[in-house]
Amino acid sequence: MAGNASVPSQGSTGPEGMAPGRRRFITIALGAIATVIAGIIGVPLAGFFALPALKRLPRRWLEVGSVSAFAGGEIKKVLAKPLTTQVWPQATPPVAIYVLNQGGEKFTLFHIHCTHVGCPVQWNIQANRFFSPCHGGVFDKDGRVLAGPPPRPLDRYEYKIENGTLYAGRVYTVNEQLEFVRWQHA
Amino acid sequence: MAACMKNLLDWLQERIGTQEQLTHLLYRRLPEGTTWWHTLGSATLLLILVQTVTGFFLAFYYVPSPDHAYESLKYIEDEIPFGAFVRGLHHWGASLTVVVAFLHLLRVFMMGAYKYPRELSWVVGGVLFLLILLFGFTGYLLPWDQKAYWATVVGTHVAESAPLIGEYIWRILQGGVDVSVQTLGRFYTAHVLILPAILYFFILVHLSLVIYQGIAPTPKGALGRIGKEDYTRVYEASKAKGETFFEHLLRDGIVSFLLLLILVWMAATWQVPLEEPADPTSTGYVPRPEWYFYWLFELLWLFPGKWTPVATFYIPLAAVLILLLLPFYDRTSGRSPLKRPVASGVALLALVAIAFLTYQGATAPTPPKAGGTISNEAKALPPELAKGQEIYEAQGCPACHVLKGSGSPAGPDLTRIGAKRDAEWLKRFMKEPTTVMPGAVMPPYTELPEDELAAIAKYLAALK
Repeated sequence: MAGNASVPSQGSTGPEGMAPGRRRFITIALGAIATVIAGIIGVPLAGFFALPALKRLPRRWLEVGSVSAFAGGEIKKVLAKPLTTQVWPQATPPVAIYVLNQGGEKFTLFHIHCTHVGCPVQWNIQANRFFSPCHGGVFDKDGRVLAGPPPRPLDRYEYKIENGTLYAGRVYTVNEQLEFVRWQHA
Repeated sequence: MAACMKNLLDWLQERIGTQEQLTHLLYRRLPEGTTWWHTLGSATLLLILVQTVTGFFLAFYYVPSPDHAYESLKYIEDEIPFGAFVRGLHHWGASLTVVVAFLHLLRVFMMGAYKYPRELSWVVGGVLFLLILLFGFTGYLLPWDQKAYWATVVGTHVAESAPLIGEYIWRILQGGVDVSVQTLGRFYTAHVLILPAILYFFILVHLSLVIYQGIAPTPKGALGRIGKEDYTRVYEASKAKGETFFEHLLRDGIVSFLLLLILVWMAATWQVPLEEPADPTSTGYVPRPEWYFYWLFELLWLFPGKWTPVATFYIPLAAVLILLLLPFYDRTSGRSPLKRPVASGVALLALVAIAFLTYQGATAPTPPKAGGTISNEAKALPPELAKGQEIYEAQGCPACHVLKGSGSPAGPDLTRIGAKRDAEWLKRFMKEPTTVMPGAVMPPYTELPEDELAAIAKYLAALK
């Protein structure tokens, strides 16, 4: 609608009655001001929003229980207690972990979320398998995929033993050969 | 009194031009043949307003923290006068909004109203529909019950399966590595502050466009096909024969009123589900999404393993693009659905697929519970079959097989398996599935003792 060609233009004045150079200058100046304002407000807010979720977490150990509580070769579901930290939230709710004692002080600690879309897997002691209730994922005692859609074996926790107590640490993913692939959330 | 009123109107007229505004908004002419189907947009708007107002009031009592969310909701339900009713309006209103907004989208599609010059109205409308779905997704974490928690665990895992940036999206959505206090804060803020601001901005744009371009002509008779060059002439001619918006407003009012009555009836008589408080450590819970995400949950069945991102990312992304870009690839002049067979065909296909998957989700067999769900029947079975049934359940078979409507449909339904296979075949199959049937995906039950295998086989073979 604007910019009708029939409007007479005088010399270097455009249809708005402004010199084109002046109009360009004001456009650039306004654009620059808007960009700087957006940056001053936007960059801190973006960091405020996203960085806490992305930053490498301080390793928080979870107290799983006394090593002697785990019979060799059996899988036990444990509610591990996160050790309190100096930073809010100091105390966090317990975390469920499937603990497999592979004899002596050798353990495998499984994350309870199915690796497909995260439904909680259930250990079935008779069948000697983990079953996911959502899309038919089945895992064996070592967390390998036996059937269904999960793309990788069950995720695991690193662990340490101190004074006869078992602690769980960060979560990592493994490949089909059950070898370490990467820290899941690092 | 009347004089006083007139003075006030004159005063307003001088300052904001009431007369011109009214003529422009209320008495603008619509094209001929405006129908009852044209009331779905205003009905959606009404429902959004109801959601907004009930949301304001729920926020007075609701506390967005894992320690208090569930209890505060219980308090709203049990202690506050009209509490269950207000929550009911908000809960059922959400589902109704999805339905009515979708019907509005369908109406616009059927009438070819996305065509020149209303392409942007369609795009903005599509964005509004996606925003409504996001409201649903962020809203149902807030009760912090089992359904809320696990549906969000699954929902954020779905986001995680996006290629390359999936894990970052996943973490940013959750505000960390778990669904936790941070996640609740984020979803709450999105649900009550950020999404409403964006939603109302786009509603404003959507309505401005409707007023600027006018309602699209109903594609009947000669209006079934309008070339771009003829558009202005045809449209103006049609408007000359049509009614005013003020007259159409009566239809809008009636439909909105009836819809509101339905919503009030739902809120007053249907109990809003509230499950047990969220327990991240429970391993017996079976997550299910809200009904309008059933299609996605069911789609996951079709794309297992490394194909998962097809269901969780590529198909939804393609669906969004196909939806939003419709006016830019369907550039034919046909406005009646019969005069643009390709677009109508694709839409019909999409509709059938969504309806089918939603139906699948709604009628999914009851998931297996620890301890067995068909045990009552076991009492009626002869002892040798009862033993097989017991082992069938103990071994977790229902985790992959449906039997008489109970179980998970990962593998074949076994309700009438005995009519197809005998006990000997079943026993061999369970032990070595791939030897008996190359390509079978069932994990072998090699460690199971012979007599137990035989018992299950006998039980299954008797199912005819």
